[in-house]
Amino acid sequence: MITIKGLTTTVQGTKLLNNVNLELKPGRILGIIGPSGNGKTTLLMCLCGLLPFENGTITVGGKTLRAEESGSRSETIWEFRKKSGIVFQHLHLFPHLTVLGNIIEAPVHVNRTPKAEAERQAIDLLAKLGIEQHRNKYPEELSGGEQQRVAILRALSMNPEVLLLDEPTSALDPIRSGDVRKLLQEFAASGHTVVIVSHSVRFLKGIADELAFMGKSEMIEMNSTQELLENPRDERTREFLSYSELN
Amino acid sequence: MFLCTLLVIHSLTALATPSLRWGADPSGGAPYVFADPANPQSYTGFDYEFAEALAREMGMTAQFVPTDWESIVASLNRKEFDVIINGFEPTEDRAREMLFSKPYYLFRLQLTVRKNDTRISSIADCKKLGIPVGTLVNCSASRLLDEGGYKSVGYQDPVGAYQDLENGRVDAVLMDVAGEMFYARKNPNLRPAGEPFNTGAYVVGIRKGDTELKKRIDAAIVRLSDDGATERIFRKWDLWNDEQLTLRSAEPAKYEVAKSTFNWSEGLIKLTKAALVTVLIAFGAMLIAVILGIPLALGQSNGGTAVKVLCTVYIEFFRGTPVLVQLLFLYFGLPVVGITLPGWLTAVVGLGLNYAAYESQVYRMAFEAVPSRQWQVAYSLGMRPVQAFRRIIFPQAFRTALPPMTNDFVSLFKDTSTAFAIAVWELATAYRELANATQSYLGIGLVVCCYYLAMSLPLAHYAHKLEQRLQRKSTGILSSGSNT
Repeated sequence: MITIKGLTTTVQGTKLLNNVNLELKPGRILGIIGPSGNGKTTLLMCLCGLLPFENGTITVGGKTLRAEESGSRSETIWEFRKKSGIVFQHLHLFPHLTVLGNIIEAPVHVNRTPKAEAERQAIDLLAKLGIEQHRNKYPEELSGGEQQRVAILRALSMNPEVLLLDEPTSALDPIRSGDVRKLLQEFAASGHTVVIVSHSVRFLKGIADELAFMGKSEMIEMNSTQELLENPRDERTREFLSYSELN
Repeated sequence: MFLCTLLVIHSLTALATPSLRWGADPSGGAPYVFADPANPQSYTGFDYEFAEALAREMGMTAQFVPTDWESIVASLNRKEFDVIINGFEPTEDRAREMLFSKPYYLFRLQLTVRKNDTRISSIADCKKLGIPVGTLVNCSASRLLDEGGYKSVGYQDPVGAYQDLENGRVDAVLMDVAGEMFYARKNPNLRPAGEPFNTGAYVVGIRKGDTELKKRIDAAIVRLSDDGATERIFRKWDLWNDEQLTLRSAEPAKYEVAKSTFNWSEGLIKLTKAALVTVLIAFGAMLIAVILGIPLALGQSNGGTAVKVLCTVYIEFFRGTPVLVQLLFLYFGLPVVGITLPGWLTAVVGLGLNYAAYESQVYRMAFEAVPSRQWQVAYSLGMRPVQAFRRIIFPQAFRTALPPMTNDFVSLFKDTSTAFAIAVWELATAYRELANATQSYLGIGLVVCCYYLAMSLPLAHYAHKLEQRLQRKSTGILSSGSNT
């Protein structure tokens, strides 16, 4: 469950988000499309509490972050950050830890889960994605697709309400492979929410239940995937879609 | 035109009369040979005047060649000059590889202490109380101390020795009366302890085989002595006494010849002690550098403007000036404001302060190499700043910092040799002093190299192992189940 009201943020004099509103029910996978540099990644950063904003509120899994708390080091922001997990475009796995170490780091050291238990859960998830044999390797020994799976499992390790993925197509596109898609759909089906940002419509078509189109710093329109692709209401959406069909 | 004529005449005379090239160390060399305070371009001193008189008596022109006291015999043998005239004393070990002229002056040793120090009235008191005695390296006083089993501290020049006496780093200094008169007698904070003792002789040092030259020099010394020329020179420097008259008679004068003090087992003990001091300085300084580097790096990266400027000034000062100068500054400069550290501690602190500047830059480089996204990932997983730093950022920066830190430690290890300048008995000092005392640069040099290697190789090996382990961690050679 995500609710965004009147979200506005300015970074170094540039307004990156302007009065963005959004409501997403649990169990849904949302794809956000739009040209590069229109605030899609900025929106994700605000959603997981890593970027301060100047106006509006964000509610994730029942926890609300107000603008005035978004840049502080108050208790609110630490709690708010636990509600979502993020997978960055370039993954940023911890290079000094093994695959298993990357996944159990936060459960063991933030949640104080016993190490054996955390490892058991991590190995189950690795097995689900077919990479459990790599558990003692270091990130740089893995292929791009394998690294992305590890990054997703790391983001899921703290049982967040929401999973955020930034431009996942850049890493060999494994999201479309059956087991990863299944994992995301299972995650959503168990009452969670997934938000995927991508400039590739073709990629999102195969996985998202709903699509949102972002123009210059603004949320232009949002609808079910099929509806938005077939009957876009806004001229800017139509223009973007006609252009991206060529890709 | 006049000048040209002068030059021509001058060079013609130089060609006409053969020159006697004589070597001496003019730095801290008063009253023997030193830069004339009234005219710093030229030299003065009783040895300078004696050398001029001697050359004239031999029908030659004296030509002064400034050199370094410690290696003066080696320089003579390398033919940088023909003779040594520098308050030079005959010793058993020197006699094996060179010739000595007849003595031209008899000297005694004088012990000096601080005015208010009532414990010491003779050299015997120093032994009884276990007080180390400061003296010049490789001179009759140092040999007397070695032979008598006294504790001693070697100095490169009398200025440093008496300054340390005043500052309380040593409690007694033993020196030839000539040096003592010039540097200590007029100092109101110091006083002579007991009477001058142990008669020794100053002679001219000549290369082995130059027997013809020795004969001519001996004859000239006798003539200078008999016609009162020597007396006039030493009276002028207030160093004349009736004991010198014994040099006039045909009988050989009575004086002590210092024995050869070096033996290998004692030498090895000295070198081992020096090696331990070297290790102590290196580890102590590195500890200071590694710790002090942290606030410097933080201050320079994250501090307010004032802190940033202060840290930058510190770092640029210590990186931009020679470590040798910094050590001298700490050793001789700090006592002026009332802070007197012993030599070894000055070396530890000085090198530590110096290397802290370098370590701070290693840290900054290492932390800047960790992408800022690593912080964000850690935060998104619910970590607080301290935890994120400790678990995620620090281990990555450490891997980047380790190789340059290891390099710095090896450099620091070698830089401990600069401590010779402040009278610390570390390995390089030990090498210079023992090799000069024995003229065995090769033999002792090899032993010293073995000592350095015995210390640096395990260090390099350990650093290499550590790097390998970290490397393996990231390339996963140890990991199991690979089928990429």
